[in-house]
Amino acid sequence: MISKRFVAKRLLLLVPVLFGVATLVFAILQLSPGDPAVTIAGERADRADIIEIRHRLGLNEPLWEQYVQFLWDTVNLDFGESFKIQPGTPVTDILADRLPITIELAFLGLFSGLLFGLPIGILSAVKQDTWTDHLSRIGALGGISVPIYWSGPLLIMFFSIYLGIFPISGRIGDFDIQARTGMILIDTLLVGRFDAFLSAVKHLFLPVVVLGIYSMAFISRMMRSSMLEVIRQDYMRTARAKGQGSKITILKHGLRNAFIPVITIIGIQFGSMLGGSVLTETVFSINGIGTLLVEAINKSDYPVVQATVLVFAAMYTIVNLVVDITYSMLDPRINQ
Amino acid sequence: MSTTTTTQSSAAERSFIDRLRASKFLTELFANRLAVFGLSLIVGMVLIAIFARLTYDLDALTRTQLSTNPTLESPTAEFWFGTDKLGRDIFPRVLYGAWFALKYGTVAVLASTVLGIAAGTVAAYYSDITDNVIMRTMDILLSFPALLLALALITIFPESWGLWRAVAALTLVYTPRFARVVRGAALKVLEDEYIDATEALGANDARVLVRHVIPNCLAPITVQSTLNFGLAIIDIAALSFLGFGASPGDPSWGMMLNEGVKDGLYLDPSAWWWSFFPGLFLALTVLGFNLLGDGMRDALDPRMRETV
Repeated sequence: MISKRFVAKRLLLLVPVLFGVATLVFAILQLSPGDPAVTIAGERADRADIIEIRHRLGLNEPLWEQYVQFLWDTVNLDFGESFKIQPGTPVTDILADRLPITIELAFLGLFSGLLFGLPIGILSAVKQDTWTDHLSRIGALGGISVPIYWSGPLLIMFFSIYLGIFPISGRIGDFDIQARTGMILIDTLLVGRFDAFLSAVKHLFLPVVVLGIYSMAFISRMMRSSMLEVIRQDYMRTARAKGQGSKITILKHGLRNAFIPVITIIGIQFGSMLGGSVLTETVFSINGIGTLLVEAINKSDYPVVQATVLVFAAMYTIVNLVVDITYSMLDPRINQ
Repeated sequence: MSTTTTTQSSAAERSFIDRLRASKFLTELFANRLAVFGLSLIVGMVLIAIFARLTYDLDALTRTQLSTNPTLESPTAEFWFGTDKLGRDIFPRVLYGAWFALKYGTVAVLASTVLGIAAGTVAAYYSDITDNVIMRTMDILLSFPALLLALALITIFPESWGLWRAVAALTLVYTPRFARVVRGAALKVLEDEYIDATEALGANDARVLVRHVIPNCLAPITVQSTLNFGLAIIDIAALSFLGFGASPGDPSWGMMLNEGVKDGLYLDPSAWWWSFFPGLFLALTVLGFNLLGDGMRDALDPRMRETV
């Protein structure tokens, strides 16, 4: 059983990490060149306007006061208003619109990576040094080496433009679906529009494949080496010696133990799905927070940059926390 | 006097063992066909890079060639990889891209290795507060997904830095990984008795670290650097692809992919060659480093050795 103390300790550790993350984001924006007031008002603005904006943003306050204010606002999830992308709109509103899109994409990518990566890794380990093993290992290394911004365009060219099977970009065809969760697959099902759901599946197929290839490659490699280690353990030999067929031995005794180390990399994988979503969204013109971040950096929309980076880091940290706790539930030896 | 001779002989013994281990490592590595294939890919790319650097004029590759070449020509006998929208021959540009990738990749990896070694050994050697301050800072850097932290950090550096901006940001992103690996290895080395002996002989901290700790941590550092090389090349190109790195027109693979996807993908029929070839060379280079790094890790890990 998992102890409450362990969970409490891990939750408490979250506080300094998130505090550090917020501090780093504040520091990065302080170090960035350019005056936010000039960014808002435009290069040819009145001096008086700029002074007024500086005052309104609190940029004339001492640095430590700005820092404390920033931390306080962050705790209250108040990220200010967008400068350029949607001037005057609270950043929280923009994020609420676009965050679910990225989460849906990242989870689907991770899920498909697990769905295919785990069996491939197990198969590869069980059939070590056969052609199946060689092929899947080379395939996995290939999958890690191929950049998303290459595989994505190639798939679009072949499947969308040449064969015309999938749409080129976006998340859904010409449907008017009311956003409830912001995740298109769930929203279309909630209103019971299966035609719209199908359209969304078609739109998301290639982006998810591109993300999934990467995580599949990573997960199958990890699963293979973990499984190989387990197969050589004494308890596996004992089970075989007791007369259990090798297939049953592997399933009953091996999988659970081999799976434990793989869980730890799921958190890291989620991070690379988030990083990969920036590229995938750019390639497939999907309006998630990945493309939002790129646009915000290009337009020096500092509040949006700040909030997006914070949200990415917070998601990554929290997923890793959940992974850690799951890990300790499966392996009581960790839980001390 | 007698103490000196003991340390000398043990040092000699040690270097002999190291040499033995190193030769076994190399035999192991070269027996791994995939690793050898990876190494030959890398050597091939290095040769291509040097050839391109010596043969082609960077200015001529960057300039538009509208007056002399056809635009958007698919691969022919004259233009092996076709031409782009501005009439530039893609073949020499792709070759020159190898120079760009290896040059900037090497700097990013070397810089983060050096910073990581410094942070990791200092943290391990001084422990307590120093260790905590350094490693908690590294933890914070590690709580961001790598590419996203690079995107955020890139805003600090002036745009005029071009590709060096991407290199600087990625150096900071990779440093914590090296610091962790080095710290772990250094802690093990510091337990060894010869460290106590060196200290007892009056060596100062810097000498202990530079002469004894770091050389004995080189194996894990080399593996990490090799694996990170592929990542650095992919990430630098990714930043260029997103528009934060190479300047438009630069013959870097990331920038060619940026232009090829933005301007070539949605043409009907698409100008597939524009983004296909730069991406292919990029993927092959990264594959080379991943294969080699993997082989090196297997050769160093005794558990792997038993099974093969």
